[in-house]
Amino acid sequence: MALNLTRRKFLQTASLAAATAAMSGCFARQANASTPFVKKPFTAPGSFADTKTAVGGVCEMCFWRCQLVGKVRDGKLVKLEGNPKSIDNGASICARGNGGVKLLYDPDRLKFPMKNVGKRGAPQWKRITWDEALDECATKLKAVVDKHGPQGITIFPHGSSAKYPMTFFEDVVGTPNNSEASFFQCRGIRDMAYVATLDTAPDENVDMANAKVIFLLGGHFGENVHVSHVKRYLKGLENGAKLVVVDPRFSASAAKAHTWVRIKPGTDTAFLLAIMNHLVKTGKYNKAYVEANGEGFDKFSAGISHATLDWAAKICDIPAKQIKEVAEMLAANAPNVSIHPGRHVSWYGNDFQRERSLACLTGLLGAIGVKGGFVAGKGPKVGKAGWPKPMAEHAEEYALHKMAKKYQFSPPGTPTDMIREAAVSGKPYAIKGYVGWGQNPIQTIPGQDLTIKMLQQMDFVMVVDVMPTDITMYADILLPESSYLERYDQVKTGTQWDLSGKQEQYITARMPLVSPTAADHERKDSVWITNELAKRMGYGKHIPVQSEVEMTNKILAGANLSIEQLVKEDGIHVQPGADPYGKVLKVKFFSQEVADAGFPGVPTYVPVPEPPKGFARLVYGRAPVHTFNRSMNNVWLMNEMPENPVWLNDESAKKMGLKDGDRIELVNQDGVKSQTSSVVKVTPGIRKDTIYMAHGYGTKNPAMTVGVGKGIDDQSLITKLAVDPETGAHGMRNNFVKFVKNGKVLSIPA
Amino acid sequence: MCCWRLFDVMAHHPVSVFFYNDIFLSQVKIMTQTTSISMAEIYRFLAQSMRYPSPEWMQADYFSVLDTFLAELGWDAETQALGQSIFESDDWLEPLQVEHTRLFVNAIPTVIAPPYGSVYLSGDGMLYGPSAEKARAFYREQGFDLVGEADIPDHISFELEFLALLAEEGKSEEEERFLAQHFRPWFPKFQARILQEGRHPFYGVLVNLIDFFTREEM
Repeated sequence: MALNLTRRKFLQTASLAAATAAMSGCFARQANASTPFVKKPFTAPGSFADTKTAVGGVCEMCFWRCQLVGKVRDGKLVKLEGNPKSIDNGASICARGNGGVKLLYDPDRLKFPMKNVGKRGAPQWKRITWDEALDECATKLKAVVDKHGPQGITIFPHGSSAKYPMTFFEDVVGTPNNSEASFFQCRGIRDMAYVATLDTAPDENVDMANAKVIFLLGGHFGENVHVSHVKRYLKGLENGAKLVVVDPRFSASAAKAHTWVRIKPGTDTAFLLAIMNHLVKTGKYNKAYVEANGEGFDKFSAGISHATLDWAAKICDIPAKQIKEVAEMLAANAPNVSIHPGRHVSWYGNDFQRERSLACLTGLLGAIGVKGGFVAGKGPKVGKAGWPKPMAEHAEEYALHKMAKKYQFSPPGTPTDMIREAAVSGKPYAIKGYVGWGQNPIQTIPGQDLTIKMLQQMDFVMVVDVMPTDITMYADILLPESSYLERYDQVKTGTQWDLSGKQEQYITARMPLVSPTAADHERKDSVWITNELAKRMGYGKHIPVQSEVEMTNKILAGANLSIEQLVKEDGIHVQPGADPYGKVLKVKFFSQEVADAGFPGVPTYVPVPEPPKGFARLVYGRAPVHTFNRSMNNVWLMNEMPENPVWLNDESAKKMGLKDGDRIELVNQDGVKSQTSSVVKVTPGIRKDTIYMAHGYGTKNPAMTVGVGKGIDDQSLITKLAVDPETGAHGMRNNFVKFVKNGKVLSIPA
Repeated sequence: MCCWRLFDVMAHHPVSVFFYNDIFLSQVKIMTQTTSISMAEIYRFLAQSMRYPSPEWMQADYFSVLDTFLAELGWDAETQALGQSIFESDDWLEPLQVEHTRLFVNAIPTVIAPPYGSVYLSGDGMLYGPSAEKARAFYREQGFDLVGEADIPDHISFELEFLALLAEEGKSEEEERFLAQHFRPWFPKFQARILQEGRHPFYGVLVNLIDFFTREEM
């Protein structure tokens, strides 16, 4: 037939009639398949006539969970804004919050259940049905349970939608091997140290808005943005609070500080001990509070008496005078001082003692329950909707750290390293089933090789996620979850952001801003996925709620609310609150419990490894437009900050022949080279022994088409593991790097 | 009658479809009516072809239509390539599914060719860009709307289905306008990605076929 046959001529071809018959055959079978179109008479729209405001959004571009509304035009989400009714973030959201729109419409998002018909780590995906996927997951996981016991499964969860499956695997299936990144690679140490000292986890409950001094250890607000938190901080500064920032780097907060303590990294505890010792020796601590509420104060003061200003000055590489100045400033303004507990605190492997020191300093100043001090807002009560716990005892019995009698202060779950080591060695028992839910351990957990070894020895790997993050490349079955803009999952409660303002409480629930269903994907929510899995694994009788809607309504019912009522109230229920001030906490300056477990009962400074010659310590932090994987592939956010410049001291740079903007790579003490490159930021604002970069860059997963290979992945350079002895959580800042430019390794002068 | 029996045979032995081709065509010619195939049917066929490969619709009659088209167009090399990868293989479906997933759903190193117009038309390469909204406005002007409120309007199968609806209603001017304003601006870029990155001949043949039926005619 002629090459330049036209469409019209083609249609006239007689033999094609044959195709008509066959065609009717092949469409007949499809008769039940719904057509994507309906007839609908045309009405001319006004320009913005169809833009609706959807209420009830709760952000999850980070964990702070600001309340949102969505501007929805014709089913398309065009813009996210803070919910004007919010008494928390108010009408404001951050850059990442705004960028959520681009997550929703990212073409790389997971769409269908997929089976890996290639290899783990080098997958070949085949789209399969939910039935096939769930049957396979259930069969394989059940086989692991039958052969190795429930403890043969490990779960790596992250995010609010992962809570339901996580508790299913822990309490119903019965595995203790739950590695929550938010505990073991982030805030678990802080929570456990504060519980051991003040008998409460601190969250970030310091009343900065009403403080006379704000004391930040590594906190870099402005670069690190959580809206209501930053509002408190800025209100405090606006009201004239003095700001003390302890950081080896001239961070955004340091730029606003009255006192920038340019501390040598790893030595913070020595600094805190010297402050406390100075206050005790000079009698400038809050005697009334300590006498009334302190426990073991004598042992404590004796135990820290070696920590003189000069002792710490030498260790911390800062003037003794500055330590004294900070101590006196805190004392002069006590008790209205915010000693910030931090959030990501898994730094050096000596972190429990540092966090204990912060809690003790808070107590020493009596900065508890008072304006500007350590105060938690009084939030409202809501109901519960969780799994029963038929296997919780079994899980407890098989907890690796309990079997080994280690890490008595481990946060809930099991220390990640113990899970990984058990999986790789098979001792004390085999771990053969991996369930990942929203967590990317390839990038959150140091020691990538070991993580990959753990994954490779599994009988079965299943991953549930929204985006194709690095971990998804190792899945046998990969399941697509609806995003935070398309699902119900969390009831969020709190108070007005300024604790001294009009006392109010709020209750909101995450509700979909746009429909979770569409013809071109089959994403599901975590309640549905978990329930289907539970039924197929034989745990159907324990299912507590049938759907995410039922779960949300059940929790809301505890406050006499419902989804319907919340929608009527523009997404947020606000009610009168209660005065949060006046609560007194006991302070365990010396902890018998910690001493009995074989650790120092008085806060103690433990030195950390020094950089080898020619290397500097790698530290990392936040950028205002990024939160790890969740934002790594976001076009708007990547456009704002496409890579993470590596901070280098200007004098060192000069000696090394590096200029601002030079393209470089990094190599660490173990000879591990970054797989990608970035640029140098030459600045006097960093110590010579320290290198800094923002975390959350350089993904290796090419399916993240926007983020792949952009900037350097700090985690890939964190090969030397520090483990905090009390908690078993990771320390990530004991790794050291040199620069590489044009293939040539450049040592960093001391 | 004999013709239907032949289909049944092929349904159970899809491997042999193309070898039966000559017989098939001759059988068909015997029972040929005067009805001719319509453009609406072709658009629907093409829309269907872009959906996930499944034994539910990918049977002998489907391939016989495809084969007829290719034969009529004289695309012998394509016919041969398809024959090798599909009909001479016992396990032809899974490679096709893997290829569909890689090209259109998720893949390593990257989802090759997301089948949505705005990925190619908007600067940021996202789904549901302004051009997608414009396509939806066009649907509405013609008295149609998508069933699902969150359906992304410019998915290739939707656009082809919509063209079928226009053809069915005899709106040839609108059909041409939709092709010119909404379909052709992105389709060649989509096609190019598949021709360049495809690892299985099927989708290359298919996008060329779509191109043939949608390209501008002088």
